[in-house]
Amino acid sequence: MERQMETDQFSQNDTLLSKALKEKVQYLNDLNDSVKNGDDLRIYQLMDPNRYANELATDQATGDTQVDYFGLASDLTAELSHHLSNKLIDYLGVTYPFFYYHEYELGKFQVYFGNWWDHRMFGELDPINIRFNFDDNEYHILAQSFQLEAENRRVNDAAMQKLGDENERITKLINEQDQRDRRKEEIRQQLKENQEKSPMPWEAGKVKEERQRLNDEMLKLTQVDEEAASGRSTIKQNENKILALSKEETILSLEKQNIRATFGSFEAFIENNNQLYVKYLQNLAQESQVSDGE
Amino acid sequence: MTTAELLANYSDSIQQGLDNGAQYLKAFHALSETDDNQSLLSAAVALTNFGLNTEFVTFPHQFSDEDVQLIFFSRLLSLSGINSNFQISNPQRVQKLLCRFDSLGDQTFTFTKSSKNADGFFFGPTFNNRPLFYLNLKNKELMFHGSSLIQYFVVDLAELEVNAIKDTLRLLTRAAAILKEKFGFKIDFNVLDSVNGEFYQFAAGSLSENVMDELFVKSAENHFVLMAEDNGGASLTLDNGTKMTVYDADSNNSRPRWGATIHDDQQSENWLYLLLDYPFIKKWYLNNQKQLEILSNQFVFG
Repeated sequence: MERQMETDQFSQNDTLLSKALKEKVQYLNDLNDSVKNGDDLRIYQLMDPNRYANELATDQATGDTQVDYFGLASDLTAELSHHLSNKLIDYLGVTYPFFYYHEYELGKFQVYFGNWWDHRMFGELDPINIRFNFDDNEYHILAQSFQLEAENRRVNDAAMQKLGDENERITKLINEQDQRDRRKEEIRQQLKENQEKSPMPWEAGKVKEERQRLNDEMLKLTQVDEEAASGRSTIKQNENKILALSKEETILSLEKQNIRATFGSFEAFIENNNQLYVKYLQNLAQESQVSDGE
Repeated sequence: MTTAELLANYSDSIQQGLDNGAQYLKAFHALSETDDNQSLLSAAVALTNFGLNTEFVTFPHQFSDEDVQLIFFSRLLSLSGINSNFQISNPQRVQKLLCRFDSLGDQTFTFTKSSKNADGFFFGPTFNNRPLFYLNLKNKELMFHGSSLIQYFVVDLAELEVNAIKDTLRLLTRAAAILKEKFGFKIDFNVLDSVNGEFYQFAAGSLSENVMDELFVKSAENHFVLMAEDNGGASLTLDNGTKMTVYDADSNNSRPRWGATIHDDQQSENWLYLLLDYPFIKKWYLNNQKQLEILSNQFVFG
């Protein structure tokens, strides 16, 4: 009896197995056809049917979880990414005209902001998930720059100001060399007079005190002399630092200019980044409709 | 020696001296009066390093070799009908003639003989003798000296109007072009070469990154964007589509050779004009002069 039941219970096994395998074969065939036909929209649907259904909210979306077979092809992510990047980068070329891409290994893309001198590497493009993964640091500086701009300030203003002031101060030290030399001569004279004094015992403390004060001042002047002597190279170093900071400001300003020209504002740029998946797939859907209609 | 021989020798020597003088005079007439390009050139070549004095006949008033070059230059301009801006400024004096360009005001110029080559002459301003170009009529050569031209026209004459300076430079380049086309001279236009793609090579070979960064920052301050180029260099699109590119012409080689090229539709812009036309590029150039100086023929000018 029991044995009989077991047979019944498992007798459907092969049928189920066969059905499941068929579905998987069907999935891979489907994926293969979509790659061959250049139907990237279908590929995205096959790769992540749930996200597709959720975010695109098409008629078919029932809210049910759909079977995700992507595990079958997930070892081909790099190849798929390379394939999908083709149309995606065309699309981004229009919608984000200031980004440039470098495929540093199959299916992996670095994003450069702008093609001006010394443009920044701004992060990566993930064609599988249709997402920019911006470099935290670079993105943060840009965000900060936008924020400060509203207050009419720049990221490096304080640092540049400080270096500029420092250079002004050193220039002054260099220019005051003659003045210091004259003062040192006076002190030498006063020290000499001080040493020649033979004070009364009750004045000895005062004379000693005076000598100490003169020596201290002399030491201070010599230290300033030293700083002035190495001042020109410090000024040059500071100028190089200022140049590096102005370069960063120039780059930020070009980035902001470009974002504003395309999106109107930083907020709109962020918004668009967040909706990139939907926007791109809608665009693909529209394009396929247009080409179907021809 | 008999008395008759002595007298004959004497008169022969005088005659030779006079013949020599007559020959000089013939060439001198050609230099000052001929309408023919070739006879003008041969007269100037003949008169340069001409030993006019002999043991028996000497001439107290003579033009120098430098003067001959200047007279040739002046006649070249008037034969070509481009002398309106140019004149010899002290024709009343014999010896050491000077010239000037109306558009440059009081500045006077003259030729100076090269210490390396008796046939070679440098043309430059009288007060500091910067060699603006080198002229060798015998070898049919004219070479402009890039850094002197820049130092003089861009720095020394910074107060003058750009158009006044360009008038003079245009005259010089046209004269050189005539020498090239009609006389078969070899010309090095150097920083005045306006042909698209002419490579203005920087003295430093390689440029430090700071130099390019500074150009990037200065360009942006003037609303131009220095763009990265595939060859590792950078380019700047200026007014009217004029494009300047800075790059390493030998990027595959171990010895870098940085320099610049200019492209414009009219092929009228050159490196020197660029410095005159764009004060920020001039400032960039002067800040980094050691590295950015344009090389000229080092044997002739060195």
